[in-house]
Amino acid sequence: MMNKKWFAGLGISAMLLGSALTGCSSDNGGSEPKDGEKVEVTLAGWGGNPTEEKLLKETLADFEQKHPNIDVKLEVITEQYMDVIKTRLIGGEGPDVFYLDAFEAPGLIKTGAVEPLDEYVTKDFDVDDFEKPLLDAFKEDGKTYGFPKDYSTLALFYNKKMLSDAGVEVPKTWEEFTAASKKLTKGKVAGFGAAPELARVYWMAESKGGKVVTDDKASFASKEVEAGLQPLLDMHNVDKSAVEPKEVGASWGGEMFGQQKAAMVIEGNWAIPYLKDTFPDVEYGTAELPTVDGKNSTMAYDVAYVMNAASEKKKASWELLSYLTGKEGMKTWTSKGYALPARQSVAEELGFDKDELRAPLVAGASYATVWQKGPNMPIIVNNFNNQFMSAFLGKRPLGEALKDAEKQANKEIE
Amino acid sequence: MKKKKIGAGKVLLYGILIAYAITTLVPFLWAISSSFKTLQEIVSGTISFIPKNFTLDNYKQIFLQQELFPRWMFNSVVIAVSVTFLNLLFNSMAGYALARLAFPGKKALFIIILAVLMIPAQVTMIPNYLILKSLGWLNSYQGMIVPSMINATFIFMMRQFFINFPKELEEAAEIDGLSRVGTFFRIVLPLAKPALAAQAIFVFMGSWNDFMRPLIIMTDAEMFTLPLGLNTFKGQYISYWNYIMAASMVFTLPVLVIYAFFNRYFIKGVSFTGGK
Amino acid sequence: MQRQSRKKMREMGQGYFFMSPSLLVLALFIIGPILYVVFLSFHKVQLLGNGSLEFVGLDNFSRLADDSRAQIALWNTIKYVAIVVPAQTFLALVLAATLNAGLKGQQFFRIVYFLPTLTSSAVLTLIFMWMYNKNGLINSMLEGIGLQGYNFLGDPDIALNAIMIMNIWSTAPFFMVIYLAALQDIPESVYEAAEIDGANWFQKFWKITVPQLRPVTSFVAIMGLIGTFQLFDQSYIFSAGSGGPDNSTLTVVLLIYQYAFKTLGTMGYAAALAFILALVILIATLLQRKFSKEESLY
Repeated sequence: MMNKKWFAGLGISAMLLGSALTGCSSDNGGSEPKDGEKVEVTLAGWGGNPTEEKLLKETLADFEQKHPNIDVKLEVITEQYMDVIKTRLIGGEGPDVFYLDAFEAPGLIKTGAVEPLDEYVTKDFDVDDFEKPLLDAFKEDGKTYGFPKDYSTLALFYNKKMLSDAGVEVPKTWEEFTAASKKLTKGKVAGFGAAPELARVYWMAESKGGKVVTDDKASFASKEVEAGLQPLLDMHNVDKSAVEPKEVGASWGGEMFGQQKAAMVIEGNWAIPYLKDTFPDVEYGTAELPTVDGKNSTMAYDVAYVMNAASEKKKASWELLSYLTGKEGMKTWTSKGYALPARQSVAEELGFDKDELRAPLVAGASYATVWQKGPNMPIIVNNFNNQFMSAFLGKRPLGEALKDAEKQANKEIE
Repeated sequence: MKKKKIGAGKVLLYGILIAYAITTLVPFLWAISSSFKTLQEIVSGTISFIPKNFTLDNYKQIFLQQELFPRWMFNSVVIAVSVTFLNLLFNSMAGYALARLAFPGKKALFIIILAVLMIPAQVTMIPNYLILKSLGWLNSYQGMIVPSMINATFIFMMRQFFINFPKELEEAAEIDGLSRVGTFFRIVLPLAKPALAAQAIFVFMGSWNDFMRPLIIMTDAEMFTLPLGLNTFKGQYISYWNYIMAASMVFTLPVLVIYAFFNRYFIKGVSFTGGK
Repeated sequence: MQRQSRKKMREMGQGYFFMSPSLLVLALFIIGPILYVVFLSFHKVQLLGNGSLEFVGLDNFSRLADDSRAQIALWNTIKYVAIVVPAQTFLALVLAATLNAGLKGQQFFRIVYFLPTLTSSAVLTLIFMWMYNKNGLINSMLEGIGLQGYNFLGDPDIALNAIMIMNIWSTAPFFMVIYLAALQDIPESVYEAAEIDGANWFQKFWKITVPQLRPVTSFVAIMGLIGTFQLFDQSYIFSAGSGGPDNSTLTVVLLIYQYAFKTLGTMGYAAALAFILALVILIATLLQRKFSKEESLY
């Protein structure tokens, strides 16, 4: 009796699974539209602010004008972007071209859901023009799976008035930075508004020679990583000169900086338009991140356009992808400085390297660590962040927190 | 002597009632007041329920900036109304059958319906998506409506309601020559109004607030429902609490209207017990 | 005899006819997916891209034994259930009894009390995040009366409690309505008899109302158990999907969600966890039933 029920259940499940798997591997190219036929290509991305959306639509309109036989359908996924993309890819209903964060790239590429682009590339496309570390983030086994659309690095944002009131120079080294932070802490203002999460502290974690990830496994429970991160914790727990956003009722660094609850924050390009729109009265400057032991470092966050391996309109998809990441499309998209162009030629043309606020961010590109360390990064990050926060808040020693987090992460990777 | 005691009791009861009413209202009043404040005022951190510079800009932003807003509203209404109507019909039918009719497998079915409540919806999301896809129902109203046109909780509730329902009426109808189906639609359902009203509110609310399903199956901005649409807004204005609160208020209002409409039937209809 | 059986046959037909829409939806969109999930729980699955499926027997289930996050999630969930279910049930009962005392203006209070239940959990969570903010309303009020404020969202010792308070507040009114309906079924004469014996309001509540409402309480508790065990939205929004700080808001369903969507290739494990959760809920429900000795419900 029991057995019979199990069999029936398995039968139905197998049927369902069958349909799922055929959905994934629906054969490619068979129904590729012929030349001259009108084609609709879907493009999916997450939502941006109204200005960004306008820029994207402008870029797409230019593209459609140049390719009258291709229509672009824009799908905006408002939340849980990767979850939705994954579900749609599983169902064989994925968009033809979509945004992919470098951070998520290795995992998704490994599944075979992303189309390698090498054979589409022509000479005019000028691959060498891309900033190399940004492009490398989308390479796997020598094949290129995506071309970067834009990126941002981290820089030090400082409140000009607070610094001059306290008689502090813009800090250049970590020592100057902690000293400045102490001096700037007054009443309700903290010297430094920190973001205690791996994406933002990775450069510190590796500043003393430690490795956060080794062979796709977590390896951050080392003396070196601890030594790299401990100074940040001391700022919060010993000097009391650093706070995290929630402690002062903000949701992120840009907000607490704008509200003048922190004199310095470490943020990226995205904070510039935000501050301009929301807190136009705050006078601030940017600088390269303080050096640790004389070495420069920062993070780079990199997003690319990739093609769905199961797309039935690969030719048209490439036309779109290559336009958006080409010199012309990228120029329109990054023209307002919401994101930095991933092509050197475009960056030069738009002159961001001479822009007062953006120059330190552009300078970082040459020595930045791209935020991406293999396919298991989501697991590693989740475990790190979870434990690191309590160490930051002084609830437990850092070494112990890191050890627990590493153990758990590696168990999940198994 | 006795009178005085009741007086003291009354004061206590009113005390409880008013205290809890305040507890309930404060978050809403706070949200409403925030939705009429300027960002500057919110950011300044002063606590006041009355906006210093009363502004309607937050609401204007929502309605004017997004030209698809009326369309999202329309989609949400179409889906929520259809889902509510179908639920009322099908849950009542199922509840009636489970309460009144004898057929093989009834008990097993009832247990399955209860068991279904225990599986979290998050796990069945992917298979559900695959089924909708093979039916070709992605990006469509029916993809939203059909899977949610019944609800185990309310089948259960309707069963309890019909068990308590006086049998005599149905027997009289049968003598008058009405068929079972006729009796159900002409006699039983009209008398079940209170239970239906309670159900209508809950089902409408559930459908109106549903976020995960439309997020995954609606790819066209034209097919978005209000929660999805408002979310694009939230994404664009992280930490703009004035906009977020205004959007939340716009979103909550229609449910309140429905509630006001059905309120008078409401309490009488909720009858979960008495399965004797 | 013949007539009897024909009548039976007809009733059977009617039964299936009335059930058919529900059966169809149930089979296609609920039972089907559940069976699929059961099937997945015995496999290591990669649905994306090239796809892979490997039978691993009970590995997904035994993995639970040394997954410390799963244990934390289970512990958090149980803690949450153990506090929220009794609290919201008790609050609902008190509110219903108070509303039912025949005071003037109860219609008004009823409408007010019901507001939280009518608002989507996503909106409520946003409102509460806004109030729980370090400079938000609640902290200002606490400081106003000379108490110390809290970092409700960021402090691992407090975050789950903050969610609990919010949930008790928003769910109690729903169950209050159920109690209110049941209160109207208690015959007035019982109270009158008690009054003659000189019982006061509290004695009437404790000696008559509470015992009379036992079957409803049982229902409320079971619905509460099922609902709280499946806590997801609030944790998800509070922690932006991570279950942090320090795993303090990690619930079982949130963990299932993470394994199903965030990490690749752990769909089978997520399915196994879901299966175990359903089992835990079932056991809790049975225990509750046994405990309250209430049989009339089913």
